[in-house]
Amino acid sequence: MPQDRLSATFSALADPTRRAILARLASGETSVTELAEPFAMSMPAISKHLKVLEHAGLIARSREAQWRPCRLEAGPLKDIAGWVEHYRRFWEDSFDRLDLYLRKLQKGEKKNGRKKK
Amino acid sequence: MASAAKTSEAPYRELTITRVFNAPRDLVFKVWTDPKHLSQWWGPRGFTNPVCEVDLRVGGELRIVMHSPDWGDAPMKGTFREINAPERLVFSNIAVDKDGKTLLEGTTTVTFEDQGGKTKLTVHTHARGVAPIAVQMLAGMEQGWTESIDKLGDYLRQI
Repeated sequence: MPQDRLSATFSALADPTRRAILARLASGETSVTELAEPFAMSMPAISKHLKVLEHAGLIARSREAQWRPCRLEAGPLKDIAGWVEHYRRFWEDSFDRLDLYLRKLQKGEKKNGRKKK
Repeated sequence: MASAAKTSEAPYRELTITRVFNAPRDLVFKVWTDPKHLSQWWGPRGFTNPVCEVDLRVGGELRIVMHSPDWGDAPMKGTFREINAPERLVFSNIAVDKDGKTLLEGTTTVTFEDQGGKTKLTVHTHARGVAPIAVQMLAGMEQGWTESIDKLGDYLRQI
C-alpha cells in the first residue's frame, strides 16, 4: 500500500471533528449544511475539514447535484485495518524467526562442546 | 519535520502476543537485547535489519531500520523505560514513515517467564495513534459512537 496515502489517511483521522463527520456519513450521503449542524463551527471551518478528508480519499463529493452531497469512501479505512493487522503479523512473524534463531543458536552451542547446563 | 500526528485524544489499542520458546530465559533475554542477535530475527520474514542499535539502559535508545526488497526501508525507534534482566523490558516505540512522520506510537512491555528451562515470552503493546482509532471505528468498539459506527461497519462490509 502506498505510504503517502497511508500518512494522509492517518493525519485526516487524527482530528475528532473529522472522525465525527465520517461517523455521520456512515449513515448515508449528506449535504454540507446538514453535516455542519451538530458542530459549533463556521461553514468555512467545516469546509476545511471536508477538504482534508477529501484529499485523504476518505470522502467524495458529488459534482453533479447542486447541493454537492458528501459520501464516505471506505477504501483508505480498509487500508488502515490491513495495516494494523500487519502489526500483529509483525510480532507473529518475528516470533517465528526468534524461535528458529534460538534453535539454531542452541544447536551451535551443543556442537561447540557442551556449555554449562 | 517530525510532526507527530495529534494523538492526545486517541484511545489505545492493545495487543498481547504470547509464545513459549524452548530456550532458557537468559538466552531469550540476550537475543532480545544484543543487537548482534536482535538483528537476526526482528521483523517479518523477508526483512533484514541493516540498522540495529541498542543502548541498553533506561533512557537509552533502540533504533532499527528494517529492509525488504519489496517494501524498502521501515524505520522504528524507541527508548528504554525499564530494564529488569532477565525478566522484563519496557520500551516506547515509534514507527515512522520514510519522511520521519510518525505513523504509530506505542509502549511495548516484554516479559520473560521461566518455565522450567523454557521461556514464556509475552509482548504487550499499547499502541496509540490514529491507526488504532480507525480500527475501532471499523469494529464499532469506541464508546459513544456505537450506532453510527455499527452502520459504518455494515457499510464497509457491503463494499
